[in-house]
Amino acid sequence: MEITIKVFRYNPEKDKKPSYKTYKLEGIETDRVLDLLEKVKGYQDGTLSFRRSCAHGICGSDAMRINGFNRLACKTLVRDTGAKITVEPILGLRVIKDLIVDMEPFFDNYKKVMPWFINNDPEPEKERLQSQEDRERFDDTTKCILCACCTTSCPSFWASDEYIGPAAFVNAHRFIFDSRDQAAAERLKIVNEIMGVSRCHTVFNCTLACPREIQITKAIGELKAALVTGNLK
Amino acid sequence: MGLKRNVSLKDGLRYQGKGPMLTYILHRIGGLGIVIFVATHILSSYAGGTVGVFLNTIYEHWIFQIFIFFCALFHAVNGLRIVILDLWPKLIEHQREAIWVEWAVFLPIYAIAVLVIVRTALGG
Repeated sequence: MEITIKVFRYNPEKDKKPSYKTYKLEGIETDRVLDLLEKVKGYQDGTLSFRRSCAHGICGSDAMRINGFNRLACKTLVRDTGAKITVEPILGLRVIKDLIVDMEPFFDNYKKVMPWFINNDPEPEKERLQSQEDRERFDDTTKCILCACCTTSCPSFWASDEYIGPAAFVNAHRFIFDSRDQAAAERLKIVNEIMGVSRCHTVFNCTLACPREIQITKAIGELKAALVTGNLK
Repeated sequence: MGLKRNVSLKDGLRYQGKGPMLTYILHRIGGLGIVIFVATHILSSYAGGTVGVFLNTIYEHWIFQIFIFFCALFHAVNGLRIVILDLWPKLIEHQREAIWVEWAVFLPIYAIAVLVIVRTALGG
């Protein structure tokens, strides 16, 4: 089948303004959008720039807006997009070149929630034990791959990149509800800041965009509830 | 180097967030509509005279009332859905169904109200 792919193009060394370039190529229904971009780059236009790494939905490098919706190019099939595809960079982050955005503001927000394990008790000889129920409590939020699909689909983040954002909340949730961690109060204080969870308008864009199907809005809801009740169970 | 960070209103509206995004946009429009209604009401009372009468004719017009009732009712019903989901995060798993319930509550009430407004306006 013939596929038409319209791609957002911007070269900071040549272009004053971004533009769109359309490529036509042969493909099949089970091609991924990433395969098409690779074909365009390999055979039609070597100047096209985009991020990719594992190409199997694990590294989270190739988040982009595909037909107006945030997805990973390596997990999106032509079968689901149709033969006419528009590919644009994710919103809310500065475009560096073509589909490549500056991820620094995203990672700055991620670092704010201290996404590492904190426990000041003396280290045990073996692992720190945890019941299956306690592990299950934060299982969903361990799946985040930091692709930024969620954060850059959020209208609050579009309004301000100071907003901590869904991905950082997910990672805060992962540690706040971990029974072995001891810094929940500190993290809750951070997510309760002016650019914190109160800016979440429960739009659900993040949940729909997550390629790992994490219940992000639910996780944010649990953070809001924990702030009000102090209950971490 | 690179483009400046800029998300325009057009970019935001073009995002294909489906049902939940639509309710978010309508919620914002609803809020704006309520502000316009209250502002018109206050201004008409404050100004009085010809200006007051002119403003009265705007916000008492049946087309304006249909628009304002949409804004107020949708804002209220959608706000209630969000409050419920925020208070009981476990229900968020059923957010799709919550949106269907919201439309099921909103549409009949709105349809009846529009019918009454139109019949009153045209039938006297």
